[in-house]
Amino acid sequence: MKWNDLKAHADDLAQRHLAELFQDDAQRFQRLHRKVGPLLLDLSKQRLNGDTLDRLTALADASDLRGWIDRMFAGEPINCTENRAAMHWALRAPEDSSVATPEVLAAVHGELARMARIVDKLHAGQWRGFTGEVITDVVNIGVGGSDLGPLMVSRALEDFAAPTPQGLQVHFVSSMDGSQVAHLLRQLRPQTTLFIISSKSFTTVDTLYNAETARTWMQRALGEDEAVVRCHFLAVSSAQEKVAAWGIAEENRLQLWDWVGGRYSLWSAIGLPAALRIGMDRFRELLAGAHFMDEHFRTAAWQDNLPVLMALVGVWNTNLLNIHGHAILPYDGRLKYLPSYLEQLEMESNGKSVTRDGDPVTTRTCPILWGDVGPNAQHAFYQLLHQGTEPVTCDFIAPALRYHEDVHTDAARELVRQHELALANCLAQSRLLALGEAALPEGEQMPFYKRYRGNQPSTTLMMDELTPYSLGAMLAAYEHKVFAQAVMWQINPFDQWGVEMGKKIATDTLAALRDGEAVSMDASTEGLLAFIRKPNT
Amino acid sequence: MHLDVYGDTLCALVTATAMASSGHHVVLRSPGGGRFAEAVQAGLSLYREPGLERLLQEQLAEGRLRWGALDEAPDADVRAIFLAFEPEHEPQARDVLVHLASHVAPGLVVINQSAFPVGTTEELQMLFPTGTVVCLPEFLQEGAAVQSFVRPARLLLGCDNAEAEVLVREVFRPFNRLSDHFLVMRPREAEFSKLAITGMLATRVSFMNDMANLADTLNVDIEQVRKGVGSDPRIGEAYLYPGCGFGGPGLSRDVLSLADTLQSQGISSELLAQVMAINERQKEVMFRKLWAHYGRDLNGKVIAIWGAAFKPGSGRIDNAPILRLLEALWAQGAVARVHDPEALPALAARYGEREDLVLCQQPYRAVEGADALMLVTEWKAYWSPDFARLQQLMRAPVLLDGRNIYDPAFVKASGFAYYGVGRQI
Repeated sequence: MKWNDLKAHADDLAQRHLAELFQDDAQRFQRLHRKVGPLLLDLSKQRLNGDTLDRLTALADASDLRGWIDRMFAGEPINCTENRAAMHWALRAPEDSSVATPEVLAAVHGELARMARIVDKLHAGQWRGFTGEVITDVVNIGVGGSDLGPLMVSRALEDFAAPTPQGLQVHFVSSMDGSQVAHLLRQLRPQTTLFIISSKSFTTVDTLYNAETARTWMQRALGEDEAVVRCHFLAVSSAQEKVAAWGIAEENRLQLWDWVGGRYSLWSAIGLPAALRIGMDRFRELLAGAHFMDEHFRTAAWQDNLPVLMALVGVWNTNLLNIHGHAILPYDGRLKYLPSYLEQLEMESNGKSVTRDGDPVTTRTCPILWGDVGPNAQHAFYQLLHQGTEPVTCDFIAPALRYHEDVHTDAARELVRQHELALANCLAQSRLLALGEAALPEGEQMPFYKRYRGNQPSTTLMMDELTPYSLGAMLAAYEHKVFAQAVMWQINPFDQWGVEMGKKIATDTLAALRDGEAVSMDASTEGLLAFIRKPNT
Repeated sequence: MHLDVYGDTLCALVTATAMASSGHHVVLRSPGGGRFAEAVQAGLSLYREPGLERLLQEQLAEGRLRWGALDEAPDADVRAIFLAFEPEHEPQARDVLVHLASHVAPGLVVINQSAFPVGTTEELQMLFPTGTVVCLPEFLQEGAAVQSFVRPARLLLGCDNAEAEVLVREVFRPFNRLSDHFLVMRPREAEFSKLAITGMLATRVSFMNDMANLADTLNVDIEQVRKGVGSDPRIGEAYLYPGCGFGGPGLSRDVLSLADTLQSQGISSELLAQVMAINERQKEVMFRKLWAHYGRDLNGKVIAIWGAAFKPGSGRIDNAPILRLLEALWAQGAVARVHDPEALPALAARYGEREDLVLCQQPYRAVEGADALMLVTEWKAYWSPDFARLQQLMRAPVLLDGRNIYDPAFVKASGFAYYGVGRQI
């Protein structure tokens, strides 16, 4: 492998402060940024130089990245532990493209057409509840990939919300403990509410319990007639028999396929809540943006390949600079849920320690990701970024233009000024993190507690503006970044065995909790169970 | 007296013909080349109102009424000008005033009858410094428009100029004989009064519809309640009929206009917003009953509809309940067969040819093979149907009475499933 070569290079570079790298090379930005479609990727604040990228691309070649990309796009079962293909890219392939088989494309576009019929009926104010009233509120019940993706997209594209005669609202319920669903049901009317039960496997207990609560609430108000469920429940799942058994009418079932992972599924019918927010035309623009990135990822040379560069830089930071914290910092409140979405995408995909061959990995894999809307995080954890002891890498994400959409006519000028303020903060923070005191006017002597050591690397990912297309392109870039990293780490990013066992043990624990039987567990669990049974003794 | 009437509304046509019939010389002005202009010159009324077309033809023949283009200057001897535009044509009214200001001798009186937002008459006055602009809101009842013009219950005159008031009284003298119907106030007060009157009427109707929906769930017959409520002299009997919602260019437009007026001032009337919301919901009341009757599946059902006009005596379908009904039925895959004595051309113009809309020239043609009959507009000809023939022609005997005109017990005894608005059997 090329790791040793890279190690020596990294030791060299590790001695050099980012401020120095900028000082030495006036062309640094020119050299280290790439423009692809609506996106601009600036790697110049990473602790590397052009030479580094050359060496990293050699690593990509040595890892057979080309072969793995070809295998993914050929639909081979690259999810080896489940023996499944990973074809989320096929969900956004145009109907006339040749990237996927005609059968797959027909299935995908057939399902999109079914989605469109549902969206159009709801948007026309013609989806009727049991009493004949118009549905005004749609509640998505799902968790994980069935929640984070559609929620994140709905919020990100709220400026593109489709107007409807009844003012259709879309809500999200995910939490297992029922706190969200209880809160929501107090505000909604059963007669005008439609639920989407969204679960790839249709076995997720969080979702099924929430769905059961919703059905009981509905039937208490409207009775047990079979038409109550027919008028008020839709389901999206790959397990059609389970959906049928739950009582969902055939015309209200939408499906996805086992070749789509949950965290890669927002492009399928799982994205229905997002399509309901923005309309089907905009949803198709989101798919088009992602497809653009698929083609770019599949065909561009490594040095110009956005997802590959993002992956290589991630590997560089994790494995060669030994940085194991990564912050996602969007400077746009509409991207509020992007950090949670990427936490799942990256950590559930690459939080692995076994190679495809079944051996323990010899390198570190996915770092710890977290984040928040940048300006808010400035008042929370930026202190640690600037003056803490942990090295952290950051992704700064922002649109250049904002607030020229029609919806903002009234207060547009004031809001544009607010966006400018946010952008200024975005640039200032990444600059100060990179340069430290070199960013400050010369000759200012500071006490230690006021000093900034800098040298915290970051990537800035800008888009011309936040649209369905640019968002689609950006999300697909992150998906492929995760895949490319998994290839270099030799792990399978498409399974998630680490989340299975906890669910099983919870079933036994639930029995112990409900039946009150003394079962032998560890001392801690037994002690806590005893407290739960009698909290006041 | 020589008068000009500007506009292509029902109000413009009625004002022009009625004024001419009382001896005034009238020029009716509307945009040249339009449908309205052509019809007037040919002696045809685009508005189906009893007596209107005959009156128009008479006055044209007598030579006291003629059509003129909007942008022509009025004759020198014109003393008063009526403005009777649609609310959305306010800019046109402004153009007319700007044009007049530089083309007519001082002292002309402009009588604004259009339902523009409160305060518009005063704004028009600013554009017309050489004369006076007053406001005289129209209270035409569609279906009896000519009668309600020549025998007005009241004339709400918004005017703060004594000379102009004298002239307006002179213009209306032939229609103001029995007693003085004029109530004079400031222009914006007259405009607001007009809106408040329609707002009040609409509120009564929505209130009764709300009561009817409650009655449905409490097994109370709303017909008895309506009589009881109407017997209270403080309330009176008018505008207490529950039904499948009110429509028409007048009622809902004026209520909306009042709501808009309030809203643009940053305040809003919660009551009127509710009144309108209840009415919109009510327009679908027949659909909801049908939906429940057929187990929430109307795919492939054939629904006969009697009456499309927003009220009997009119051919207009503006904001009429049938529009929402049709769209609801079509969205569920049902076919509508519609009869209306006057409004079929308006329906055809709005929706064009489509497979799930069958326009029938006879009421009994509409019910052929129908899974239900909905009575939406209470034309007199629908009041006493031949139930045996209906039974025979329909696929299923289901009658939805959107105006509560039938006797539930009799309909049921004739073998029909009956649904009224708040009616119990």
